[in-house]
Amino acid sequence: MTEIQEQLVDQEVPFDSGPHGFADKPFSTPAISAAPGPAAARPASGALAVGLPADPVHIDTARVCDTHAEVVAEKHIVEVDDFSLFYGKTQALHGVTMNIPLGKVTALIGPSGCGKSTLLRSFNRLNDLVDHVRLKGRIRFRGEAIHERNVDVIELRKRMGMVFQRSNPFPMSIFENVVYALRISGERNTSVLHEVAERSLRGAALWDEVKDRLHQSALSMSGGQQQRLCIARAIAADPEVLLMDEPCSALDPIATAKIEDLIYQLRGKYTVVIVTHNMQQAARCSDYTAFMYLGRLIEYGPTNNIFLNPHLKETEAYVTGRFG
Amino acid sequence: MSTAELEYASHAPAVTGGPRPTIRRQARRFNWLPAPLTILATCSGAFVLLMMASLLAVLFYSAIPSIRTFGFAFLIRSEWRPNELEQIKRNAQGNIIKDEDGEPVTETIPPAFGALPVVYGTIVSSGIAMLFAVPLSIGAALFLVRISPRPLVNPVSFLIEFLAAIPSIAYGIWGVFVLAPFLQARVEPPLNHLLASVSWLRWASWNSTTGRDMLCGGLILAIMILPIITAVSRDVLRAVPRAHIEATLALGATWWQSTWEMLRYGRSGLFGALMLGLARASGETMAVAMVIGNINEIHPSVLAPAQTMSSLLANEFAEASTELHRAALLEVALILLVMSLIFNIVARWLVVGRGQPAAGRR
Amino acid sequence: MYWLCVAAAVVILSLLALVVVYLVSIGWRSMNWAFFSQDPQPYGSDGYPGGMRNGLIGTMMLIALASVVGIPIGLLCGVYLSEYSAGSLIAAPVRFVADVLAGVPSIVVGILGYQLLVVPLGHFNGYAGALALAFIMIPIVARTTEEMLRLVPQSYREASIGLGATKARTVVSVVIPAATGSLITGVMLAIARVAGETAPLLFTALGSRLLTLNPKYPFPSLTKEVYDYATGPYAEQKREAWAGILVLIILIFVLNLMVRFSVRRWQGAK
Repeated sequence: MTEIQEQLVDQEVPFDSGPHGFADKPFSTPAISAAPGPAAARPASGALAVGLPADPVHIDTARVCDTHAEVVAEKHIVEVDDFSLFYGKTQALHGVTMNIPLGKVTALIGPSGCGKSTLLRSFNRLNDLVDHVRLKGRIRFRGEAIHERNVDVIELRKRMGMVFQRSNPFPMSIFENVVYALRISGERNTSVLHEVAERSLRGAALWDEVKDRLHQSALSMSGGQQQRLCIARAIAADPEVLLMDEPCSALDPIATAKIEDLIYQLRGKYTVVIVTHNMQQAARCSDYTAFMYLGRLIEYGPTNNIFLNPHLKETEAYVTGRFG
Repeated sequence: MSTAELEYASHAPAVTGGPRPTIRRQARRFNWLPAPLTILATCSGAFVLLMMASLLAVLFYSAIPSIRTFGFAFLIRSEWRPNELEQIKRNAQGNIIKDEDGEPVTETIPPAFGALPVVYGTIVSSGIAMLFAVPLSIGAALFLVRISPRPLVNPVSFLIEFLAAIPSIAYGIWGVFVLAPFLQARVEPPLNHLLASVSWLRWASWNSTTGRDMLCGGLILAIMILPIITAVSRDVLRAVPRAHIEATLALGATWWQSTWEMLRYGRSGLFGALMLGLARASGETMAVAMVIGNINEIHPSVLAPAQTMSSLLANEFAEASTELHRAALLEVALILLVMSLIFNIVARWLVVGRGQPAAGRR
Repeated sequence: MYWLCVAAAVVILSLLALVVVYLVSIGWRSMNWAFFSQDPQPYGSDGYPGGMRNGLIGTMMLIALASVVGIPIGLLCGVYLSEYSAGSLIAAPVRFVADVLAGVPSIVVGILGYQLLVVPLGHFNGYAGALALAFIMIPIVARTTEEMLRLVPQSYREASIGLGATKARTVVSVVIPAATGSLITGVMLAIARVAGETAPLLFTALGSRLLTLNPKYPFPSLTKEVYDYATGPYAEQKREAWAGILVLIILIFVLNLMVRFSVRRWQGAK
């Protein structure tokens, strides 16, 4: 038995050796809830499911995180190396070590306040805008540390697009919103601007809906459309990584479904890191999932494994809705 | 990874885009130079500080001749005489000294300046203004916050704030042509008569009432500071937490008792509002200059004409001819400035300082 | 006690009515076309008393000159206080000073203008008057600009920074355009305040009976002319003063109404 299997023998999580029933299917399967096994099925994100025992779950966060071998084997674009972050005296991230695989969708899940958004915002150094932030450890983007003095932050942010929790289109026209990134790079050629605008809007599955009202105000669109516009705006900058901070939390289910489809299509061309509260969303959209708690990375592996076959009982407790 | 997963990964297209530039900063251009906007904005901020410094420095520097001549006694002297005085010289017994021709010898007494009359004028006129304005303003603020029906609040607030927008000179004209004649004809004669007939109030009466006196000045000032005290008090009282007032009502307080509690809760902000009103009243120039009578003397009666610091400056500055006269006027201006700064600083500390300072945001 | 408060509000409103009604009615009766088309004529001449055309044009020019200096500095100072205040040592003092400067008596500002700009030049001039007005404008514009820029949601700034814009670019391209309407209302408030000022002009621009467009010499203004006429001995001139006051009040009222409506509209759109 491998080391992990030895560990798990003592625990209550049944360990499935050998190829899983899902190995033959592509990664993000919407029908994950039909899986066998005790864990999976009804992850009720947030509330405790009715009927589960109300015993407090103790998480020993001092344990070393468990990163599955599959993640380690991937080619990486962002490497986080023992990264800690302090807001003044409060420590928000405790020695997080993880690598984001290139060209895949990685989901960060965990209860509120566990540091997932903080970690995400560290990737494009948006935390620079906050007072009294202290860092330890290192984050590397394509091998280069990003928190060094001699890093061109503007260039870094152009390579990492960000989509926020609440859609925030600028109070300008739809066209101006999309080409904003190009304008600040100095691009003035209108044909180039139009071409990129069309490409980005198509990439965000918004082109057909807005192609004849490009010069109307962006604030006149619905919430779901605005969020897709923000995605188009981020794509127009031609980033390598897309950081998404709970992009669907303020949207209705139909808009959410559209954006999840979009994320599915974006993989391969972009590396996507998505923070989400909604575990079903993580299960649907992502290739890899990282579970964080209280500023620490607890477990990190292929989405299937995390939801159906987690190594740690803490992870299992979370994905089954026992807490958080 | 299972075989199928590996297969997928190998078919997945690599991230597009060829080799990208390093994110390390290129040593090109002048990125050490901050953006033009940053420079301009910072300079403007510094310029404001320079404005204040120059105000204090220039006034102080120009007032030095007067400060050197009179010293601190300037604040308590009450004689204001820009002209030299020719006086017949008398010896120790009081007899007139004559020179060899038998003519009386005259001596010239240099001009003398003292700020006490105008300081007195400013204080008393502002005091009268506050006496009339404060009850009305607090009452109106309570009306707006506690009594007024919803649709009335905005129009009434707008009208009261419009009072603040009327220029000072308009109040001056109204005072000169409407209030002063009214006081002279209808109010002051009976008031004067009443004061004169009561033996222990006789000091407060005045021999001739023209309507242009301290009382008129104080009343005009009262009308002018009503809107600012009302507006700030309204904001302060509106900020009292509803839950606090509801708690008093739940304990059985009457309307007045819960309102009193509201006033007590916001007392520092209300005091700040009063300070702001006082600052405005003490600095007001044009309206006061037109109705206060412009006699630079101290009299206990409010029916006597008077002079405030700002009205003195308005009246005499353009015609001051000697350097000492001008320096004395500038010293009065300096006193006025310092007084208004103190009021404003205290007011700001009371209204703003007790709350959270503006959060820093990069 | 309850009814005392109602009575207080009623008293204030009736005082307002008293003041405004008098000013408007007498001013209205004194208003004639000559007021706008003629300059002041001396006593005893044909067109006596003439009008206040030079004062109207003078005030407009003074406001224009003051705005050219005062509005940019005030706006930039407001931008500084709103966007660059974190981590800055002078931001809190600047905010404090801007608040306090707004309450300085305007006659003291006029005296400062005299010492700095009239004495060196040797004679009263319009530039000194305009700069004294600008001195009064700057703190008002700075504080209202800061308040309005703070109301722009932080998410706009984050989105812009996240797309790789510099802070200066963010302020110019996103933050200021988002607040343009309310910045304009702040400017209008400052102009309304400055249009009615007399004291700063007493020792700087001094005033003039002639129509002149040259600020290098004593310069006319509506407020100074009204003051001179109202405190003068001639009855016809006093009537002109009433008309002048009415024009001034109408101008300020209109500006204030515009401010109120655009603030309401801007807040409603949020």
